[in-house]
Amino acid sequence: MTLAPKWVPVWLAIAFLASGCNPPGKPTLPQTSGRPEDLKDFDALYSSNCAACHGKDGTLGPAPPLNDPLFLRIVPDAELVRVITEGRAGTPMAPFDHSKGGPLTTAQVKILAAGLKTKWGTPGVMTDVPGYALAPGGNSEDGMMTFMMACASCHGENGKGGKSGEQRVGAINDPAYLALSSNQALRRYIITGRPDLGMPSYNEKTNRPHNFKTLTAQDVADLTSLLDSWRSPATK
Amino acid sequence: MKRILKAVANTVGGWFEARLRLKESVMPILEHPIPAGAAGPKGWWYVFGSASMTLLFLQIATGIGLALVYVPSADQAYQSLEYLNYRQPFGWFLRSIHYWSGSGMVVMVVVHMTQVFLHGSYKYPRELTWIFGVCLLLLTLGMAFTGQVLRWDADAYWGVGVGASMAGRVPVAGPGIVELLIGGPTIGASTLSRFFALHVFIIPGLLLALVGGHLWLVITRGISEPPVPGQPVDPKTYDAKYHEEVKKGKPFLGDAMTKDALFSSLVVLVIVALAAIIGPKGPGGLPDPTLTGANPRPDWPFLWLFGLLSLSPAGLETFVMLAFPAVLVVCLLLVPFVSNRGERAPSRRPVAVLVVLVGGTTLAVLTYEGMTSPWSPQMGAWSGDTIPTAVVKRSTPLELQGAAVFQNKNCRNCHALEGIGGKRGPDLSSVGVRLTRDQLIDQINNGTPGGGNMPAYGKHVRPAEMDAMVAFLVSLRPEGQPPAKTAGQTTKK
Repeated sequence: MTLAPKWVPVWLAIAFLASGCNPPGKPTLPQTSGRPEDLKDFDALYSSNCAACHGKDGTLGPAPPLNDPLFLRIVPDAELVRVITEGRAGTPMAPFDHSKGGPLTTAQVKILAAGLKTKWGTPGVMTDVPGYALAPGGNSEDGMMTFMMACASCHGENGKGGKSGEQRVGAINDPAYLALSSNQALRRYIITGRPDLGMPSYNEKTNRPHNFKTLTAQDVADLTSLLDSWRSPATK
Repeated sequence: MKRILKAVANTVGGWFEARLRLKESVMPILEHPIPAGAAGPKGWWYVFGSASMTLLFLQIATGIGLALVYVPSADQAYQSLEYLNYRQPFGWFLRSIHYWSGSGMVVMVVVHMTQVFLHGSYKYPRELTWIFGVCLLLLTLGMAFTGQVLRWDADAYWGVGVGASMAGRVPVAGPGIVELLIGGPTIGASTLSRFFALHVFIIPGLLLALVGGHLWLVITRGISEPPVPGQPVDPKTYDAKYHEEVKKGKPFLGDAMTKDALFSSLVVLVIVALAAIIGPKGPGGLPDPTLTGANPRPDWPFLWLFGLLSLSPAGLETFVMLAFPAVLVVCLLLVPFVSNRGERAPSRRPVAVLVVLVGGTTLAVLTYEGMTSPWSPQMGAWSGDTIPTAVVKRSTPLELQGAAVFQNKNCRNCHALEGIGGKRGPDLSSVGVRLTRDQLIDQINNGTPGGGNMPAYGKHVRPAEMDAMVAFLVSLRPEGQPPAKTAGQTTKK
């Protein structure tokens, strides 16, 4: 009886009241004015400016992952702001600040830089990790020794590529790859690895030979120097 | 007690009846006989016109409510809509019902018209009723357009811009029409006042007058009988035949009116439900011409025209803008003059059925095109649309750099990957199967030959970027599929 058509309006009215006069169609107050420069929310800024290359949640994008606690522990705040502002010349990282022709205001760049650490970083200081900044004094010949011990099992002889288990590992001595990668990015990968793609960090033993020892700051500098020596002369 | 109440009602009712004489004026109209067929199950075909009118009244009621708060001035309209949406209790609901009921009105008018067309009801002696109906359709669309402008967001602003540009192309009178329409040579302070006057006074006034005329014609010439194959209309004999049929007919007040009332109630219920569940439309982006991210779209009743304009070649623009809508309207107006006699049943009028099918499909396809606008690059895709994670997981370092270059060079704004990204160029999810490395390099360097869709990027891509990007593109293949090869390569192997 109560399901008869004449009761439909009553049911609808009850449904309306039951939703506390807040049915799904009721609009909610937007957080911003609708002007792009007023957008201040990290998630919204990240998803429209960074996600395409750095991945939806900061991993599994073509560019270095940002959702990487080890990276976020070693990278200085000022460096994050600088790179987002200016980009990295010669690499696919574009400048994002208005002053450099990018789409964001300086305030938005700072929100992104700070938000990366708040959202994905872990608090605390790590003292025994090789530093983020490029260090002088790397020796490519020593680097080759370290490479054979720490990297060659996956990356192959002279970085020509190889296999890690069933996974194909592409060449890292490719001139085009190196031409598009800064030494800073190479150093960062040596330290942090690429956890989202299974590449171990400077101290992880997974998939590495038995004689592997945690990489020291000097090892990292030597390896960076080795990779740099593989660049074709034109792009050095 | 009951007896007393009845006596009071009779006395009061009698007092009014003695002065209004409703039993003599209104009752005969309500009780006018309609063909017996129209009162039976086939009467359900006749409910769309009254539903359109019901929605018109709902529009008037909610429109008056909105006008109490809405400020028709360029600098305050947007804020007054936000006030309605977020602060005024149930203001959002009023806006929502007004939007959905307006949309419903367009749907009902079109459905009503299609039914009248398919049943040949426009034939003798109802040609003028049809012409009034065509004018009502145009006025309803006029309400939809002016109403969209009153929403005064980016869509509205650019919508007026497009409308004014169209009007400006009229030979000789163009600039004058633009001046009259937007209150000056550019969109400014008086533009919104003009559209407010159109939406609230001028068009509704005309609409009500024409609805009156339409109804008067329906009552004086009677509701058409349901079509029967093999009973063609002949203007010489039709009146006498109809007169005979109506003698056996039923009063409108009864079965027919109950159907109208039931269907109209159902339509109103659906609209209230849509209003509560989906909510009001907009206001969208700010009506600020300096905001470059605006991606304006007309409301759905005009998406087909938006699609048609965007897809037509530049040389045809003026024709498509001015002559084509006029030709359409003239065609509609001429319908009852081209065929005002003969068969009415759809089963005997294949051309009419075909016109509805082809016309409906065309409108639907153009609306879909207008909605998705694949001709427009998606300017935020390069930095917002991610590379599919499965591709990232299987890529080499060089291919990963190539993917980043692909994004950096804005390729994604026109080329989707797995359906996400711009639709202007082809989706490249499996381009590695179609094009070889050399073909890809040629395509990127030189663009589409003959000044085609894709520009030449040769000067914007360094050799290392090209290497990496092409390695990435060649790697875009479904699992197990080999890369594309030229004929020579295939035979060598």
